[in-house]
Amino acid sequence: MYLAAAELRLDLLEREDSLPLASERWQHFPYSCFSHHEAACCEVAREWIIANDFAQLNGGDLKTGPRWLRQKYEWGPSSWPMHWCDVVERDVIDCGAHAALAHEAFAARGVTAFRAQFVQKYSADATVQWRKKWGDEEVSDHWLTDDAIYHEGNALLVGDDEVKLWDASAGWWINARQAGGGYGSLVAVRIFADGQWGGGDGFRWGDHRIKPNQWHQL
Amino acid sequence: MKVYVSGLYCGGNPQPGVGIVRSLRQAFPNATLVGVEYSNRVSGIHWDDLDDLWIQRPWDELDLESYGERVRQALDEGGLWISGSDLEAMWLADLFPNGHRNLLAPPLAALKRITKPTVEAASGLPVKIPPYISTEHSDWDLHAFCREHNWRVWLKGPYYDAARTPTWDSFAAARNALTKVWSTERLFLQSHVSGYEESVMLAAYKGELLGAVSMRKREITPEGKTWAGDISEVPEEFMAPLRRMVKELAWTGGGELEMVRDASNQLWLLEMNPRFPAWVHGATIAGHNLPALLVQGATGAMPKPSVAHGQEFTRVVLEVPVRGDYPLPPLPEPFAGAIGHSMKHPSGLTSLAKKLHKANPDLLEVVVEEDGPDGLPAIPDSFVADIDSYDFARVQTPQFLFMDQTASGLFKRAADRAHRLSTNEVQVVSGYSIKTNPDERLIKLALDNGFYAECISLLEVQKALEVGFRPDQVILNGPAKWWPEGLMPKERMHAFFCDSIADLERTLTAMEAGEMSSRHVGIRIRTPNVVSRFGIPLDSPGTFRKLVEAVKRLPADTAFGVHFHMASDRIGVSQWWHLFESMLKWCRSIEKLTGRTIEVLDMGGGWFPDDWHSDDESKFAKAVGTVKAMLPGVRQIVSEPGKAMAQPSMALAMRILEIQEHEDDSIEAVVDASIAELPMYFFYPHRMLRKCSETGELQPIGRGKTNLMGRLCMEHDIVAANVQLPEGSKAGDLLIFCDAGGYDRSMSYVFGRG
Repeated sequence: MYLAAAELRLDLLEREDSLPLASERWQHFPYSCFSHHEAACCEVAREWIIANDFAQLNGGDLKTGPRWLRQKYEWGPSSWPMHWCDVVERDVIDCGAHAALAHEAFAARGVTAFRAQFVQKYSADATVQWRKKWGDEEVSDHWLTDDAIYHEGNALLVGDDEVKLWDASAGWWINARQAGGGYGSLVAVRIFADGQWGGGDGFRWGDHRIKPNQWHQL
Repeated sequence: MKVYVSGLYCGGNPQPGVGIVRSLRQAFPNATLVGVEYSNRVSGIHWDDLDDLWIQRPWDELDLESYGERVRQALDEGGLWISGSDLEAMWLADLFPNGHRNLLAPPLAALKRITKPTVEAASGLPVKIPPYISTEHSDWDLHAFCREHNWRVWLKGPYYDAARTPTWDSFAAARNALTKVWSTERLFLQSHVSGYEESVMLAAYKGELLGAVSMRKREITPEGKTWAGDISEVPEEFMAPLRRMVKELAWTGGGELEMVRDASNQLWLLEMNPRFPAWVHGATIAGHNLPALLVQGATGAMPKPSVAHGQEFTRVVLEVPVRGDYPLPPLPEPFAGAIGHSMKHPSGLTSLAKKLHKANPDLLEVVVEEDGPDGLPAIPDSFVADIDSYDFARVQTPQFLFMDQTASGLFKRAADRAHRLSTNEVQVVSGYSIKTNPDERLIKLALDNGFYAECISLLEVQKALEVGFRPDQVILNGPAKWWPEGLMPKERMHAFFCDSIADLERTLTAMEAGEMSSRHVGIRIRTPNVVSRFGIPLDSPGTFRKLVEAVKRLPADTAFGVHFHMASDRIGVSQWWHLFESMLKWCRSIEKLTGRTIEVLDMGGGWFPDDWHSDDESKFAKAVGTVKAMLPGVRQIVSEPGKAMAQPSMALAMRILEIQEHEDDSIEAVVDASIAELPMYFFYPHRMLRKCSETGELQPIGRGKTNLMGRLCMEHDIVAANVQLPEGSKAGDLLIFCDAGGYDRSMSYVFGRG
């Protein structure tokens, strides 16, 4: 699903003593980023995303999730690398592209947001379906394991150190209660932050305290 | 222990009775639970946790006095009563103003302090109340409220029911319907709050808070009702003031605070219900059995411990056997030719509302202001002076009246404002939209006050030139600028705004061929997310790219501009300002991507006069500052107020032809005007006056039961609905509809005149 080079950074750990944490497979996996042709084609696309996001706010709060992105772009298999001028023309994009677009929108609004990676639990039946769908499109399915998936989203700062987690490809805020177990639940999260947000006690999300730049098991 | 539980309706908008019964059965397996209902059509009566049923005739048939005695007897005999219906709770509070030891419902004094929309008792809670206005205000004021809140408003009844009213005609229709259903004119409009709904449920006995629990809606029905939710403890910062509120109210019974949490985490209180919510058993599933706590608080009986089965709940659809002694009643016959069976409110709740009003007119009325408004619109002095300048003995009605003093004042005011807002770097000028009203007197006023002439056709350009505008004072825009052929001025115009990319290319070709000339050539943009047929759409990256490429082809010696028009009275004032800001962002992107500097901005359209003339000037000053900051190359801002100039500048005089009084107290007065002269009647209210034939006094007309029927033999020719003609009105009287100088005048048509 993401940068082909990044796939080489997947950590396929085999442990005999205990089951590996679901997130360990993606320990060194970077979040998705668009490429830029350094030409007008990509700049027009980027400007369109930013200006259109503000138009779609409809006068609402700047911290409203950019749900219009999910309405315009269906979630599904995407081949990478992806350029700005390419992504805006697609009908279907994966979660990495969704999260990258959402981050651009949040940043342009002037609100503080961070890229985030998730590991979610689903089921073997679900991953079989997704694996087939991604395979049919000849796109890598490295994001799938038996019943866990790698996913990308955003963390939006809503208080001094409180964040909300935006699932851009679903168009909803992840419920802090839906963490730790069960179908569709979030089992691990990593928030990428630097500067003033890169240290300290980390971010508060529901009852959890999440240190930046490392996988946090829920 | 015997507990009477009412409110057993289980349709799409269910009552809590069955949930209360399930919770009580879990806590008190041996209690006798009696279901109280007022229709055997209510499906909850068949729930098998009920030991007995007390089915009454519907409220419209019930004799409240004798029924009240029976309820009293049941309570005196030791039965507890938990009401699951707001109106029944109100009736019980009226019946037992000081409560009854076994009535587990709030006292009357408490109910009076939680009436919508103020919910005065909740002032200590960390919540805000969404802005609202009583419908006792004049239609003029109500329309202003709707505009202010971007037409994202709800018309709400005193007990139940709410209707979205995104337009004036939908508001008028909803007001008539709610007034009729709930037997009261005292409704209110409330601003919509966008966010996620959550509630706090409470149980209290004689002012002691026994328990409270929070629920967030996780799935909702099409009506917005809870289908699934999650349960959590109420945070202490909410719990402490809630405890104080319950104590102050001496609350007994269940209760629910319905709220919305917005994106900024602010809670907005929509209403407080004097009963448990329908999701009450969802909390019991999560280990918070509030009905049991209530019964325990009232009786001391120990319930079985609550067990939490999870913190989330959902509903499912269940089929249950119908009780043999309460067979299903037949479906009513559909009205001939109609669709459906017309079965709303089977227990006759609306009749109870009517009876309660009759018995106690002040009971829980919507009172939002101490000194209630008189419902009459304020009439500006200039209107009175202008109308008084006419000798109506010589006026053949229907007749448009030019409001000379009013019009002169408005144009001067706009010119003065433009002058004040101008700086050395940016000139602010006004544009007069000829189409709004092409009356030469108004065009001349525009010319004399330094306006530019905004035209949408070459015929309008000719009209402006005939009145005295120079070509370089003309701005041409719209999709039909080239019509009719052969009239395009050869002289240089001020600005020429293209409505499509094809239009832009045609313009460039015509300029190269010397067929036309304009100091500024620009584009009209159609910002996404707003329904409009005008301008170049920006809703896809493809069209945006084409626009960028087209603008790049503009000759370097032609100044570039952008035109943005959207009717602010249709989308709302703050929404317009959002669009304005959005438009500036698009402009900035266009400048960046094309390398062209935007030198003129033409913005406006469709301003309601009050919003334009009365609005705080600082908004306009701020807008000029924002333009300078975002688009430093802009040298001129053309502000086009649209109908804000024309609408107040004319009124329509008409006479009453006939007055017909009907048996239901309604009155139909036929007038010699019609919707042919007032085509905008459906879109906004007009301030109306009657000229008293005896004193000559101008009397404002408020709301009432009179419909003013137009002279046309057309069913929809009603020029004003639900107005109150002053005492003594008769055939021959003169009525004056103000605010008719905009599209009423310019779009009026000849009809029914032979």
